[in-house]
Amino acid sequence: MSEGLTRREAMGHAARGLAAIGLGVTAFHLIRKADGQIVWQLDHGRCVNSRLGAVGVNTCNLCTSECVVAQSAVRAVNDFSKCGRCYICPAYYNVTSAVDESGLPSEKLCPRDAITRTMIGDADPEDPANNFYEYVIDETKCDGCGKCVMGCKEPAGLGSIRLAVRHDLCVDCNRCAIAMACPDDAFTQASVEEAFERLETKGGT
Amino acid sequence: MIAAWRFTALVITILLSTTLWTSSAFGQPAPYDRPVDAAPQAKNIGGGYITPEVQKPLPRSYWLEVLDVALLAAAMILVSWLVLRRRNRAWLLLVTIASLAYFGFYREGCVCPIGSIQNVVVALTDPEYSIPIFVTAIFFLPLFMALFVGRAFCGGVCPLGAIQELVLLKPVRVPRRLDRTLGLLKYVYLALAIWYAAQPIADRDFVICRFDPFVSIFRRTGFAHMIGIGIGLLALSMFVGRPYCRYLCPYGELLSWCTRFASRGVTITPDKEIDCGLCADACPYGAIEKNRAVRKSCLYCARCYASCPRTGPMVPTVRSEAAASPDGGRS
Repeated sequence: MSEGLTRREAMGHAARGLAAIGLGVTAFHLIRKADGQIVWQLDHGRCVNSRLGAVGVNTCNLCTSECVVAQSAVRAVNDFSKCGRCYICPAYYNVTSAVDESGLPSEKLCPRDAITRTMIGDADPEDPANNFYEYVIDETKCDGCGKCVMGCKEPAGLGSIRLAVRHDLCVDCNRCAIAMACPDDAFTQASVEEAFERLETKGGT
Repeated sequence: MIAAWRFTALVITILLSTTLWTSSAFGQPAPYDRPVDAAPQAKNIGGGYITPEVQKPLPRSYWLEVLDVALLAAAMILVSWLVLRRRNRAWLLLVTIASLAYFGFYREGCVCPIGSIQNVVVALTDPEYSIPIFVTAIFFLPLFMALFVGRAFCGGVCPLGAIQELVLLKPVRVPRRLDRTLGLLKYVYLALAIWYAAQPIADRDFVICRFDPFVSIFRRTGFAHMIGIGIGLLALSMFVGRPYCRYLCPYGELLSWCTRFASRGVTITPDKEIDCGLCADACPYGAIEKNRAVRKSCLYCARCYASCPRTGPMVPTVRSEAAASPDGGRS
């Protein structure tokens, strides 16, 4: 017992070794197949709020209601390179609301008041309608309800606002509740690079 | 006749246009037309305007993921050292609380080897699907540990185990036959998890995540029925030691298979112990049979050591061979 291995100990070592090799081979196989980090991302070419042609339907707000994170990890992003910087932005204002004395719609579209409007560039003091306005979405307030996305969609706007996943909030559920609920299968897993590519371009369409 | 008709038409037109004009000026929506056809670029806007970048919130950075894996490994090594060498429950409880805080409440239950079973199954069955190296590491590290030192992961690292461990107040002994029968549920759960994960993508389901009872507590939000089940299970685990781990956890099942090959484990020292049976009474998990620890169901809580009149708090010696040393074995 004290000198060398007993038969039982040797069998134990062998069995453990075999099990370790088995686990190791499986792990190696998976690592060889591994493809970087995978994140959930929304394909706005499929999302009903930004997809062309789906006009007049009610805004889909499943991204807000389904996400397991308290304030949904989905929020709206404005792609400034495509933003028209309109005087009356159909995503900022509720363009069907009554006009106030300054000639602008009296109601805002965002229920959480997450969009700020600032005049930019060379100002024309005579006519405010002749100036450009920047619309910045405060991502700490936005919960991805999609109202502004629908508002900015062509032909009303230029479609510069789309929904995107905030990866810093997203907990990467295996079974993403939004993906399960999405009627257009717009929510899919993608590599980080692809997820950012989708954000830049009009994905899918 | 014609002149009269023209006059009436004129009056109606004027009236209509004035009403329309006044109504649009007072509180009616303005007719909306898209003012632009193309996005103005920085040079049209002027005033030194620079077009901002599209906002891109980055995913959890790579080094943080490495940190998660490192913490998991470190915590498991610490637990096995505390339990197997120091036989110390007090420090183990501290590690348990730290793990619950980090892996549970901070990471919101999502560095989870239990759920990663499904990802591994999908990655093995679906040629299109692959999992990050990070997930592979999270899945295999506790299994490797179990091959050598037993279920150290369950002891004080797993947040699901930790939350049940910490609420256990007054354990009742589950009759052995009932304990064994309920233990079979783990096989059913594991089989279901693998079966649903191995389905093609349209029918795929991650049942372990779907019915994870404590994740909604860690996230402080979730489906009402799952919060209810979680609180119910927590209430149950005040009296029944770790019901989820013992009767449901599919990963615990994999770990207990691995412990069959383990070279070390919690041992009720066979030669010099007094066989008083206090440890068996102290074990809330029914893992001590005939005064010997059963490796596959031992959850590394070190209660047996804490209750032992030889190694417990009453006699501050740690190991029987250390008792002979002059400093009382605390070195």
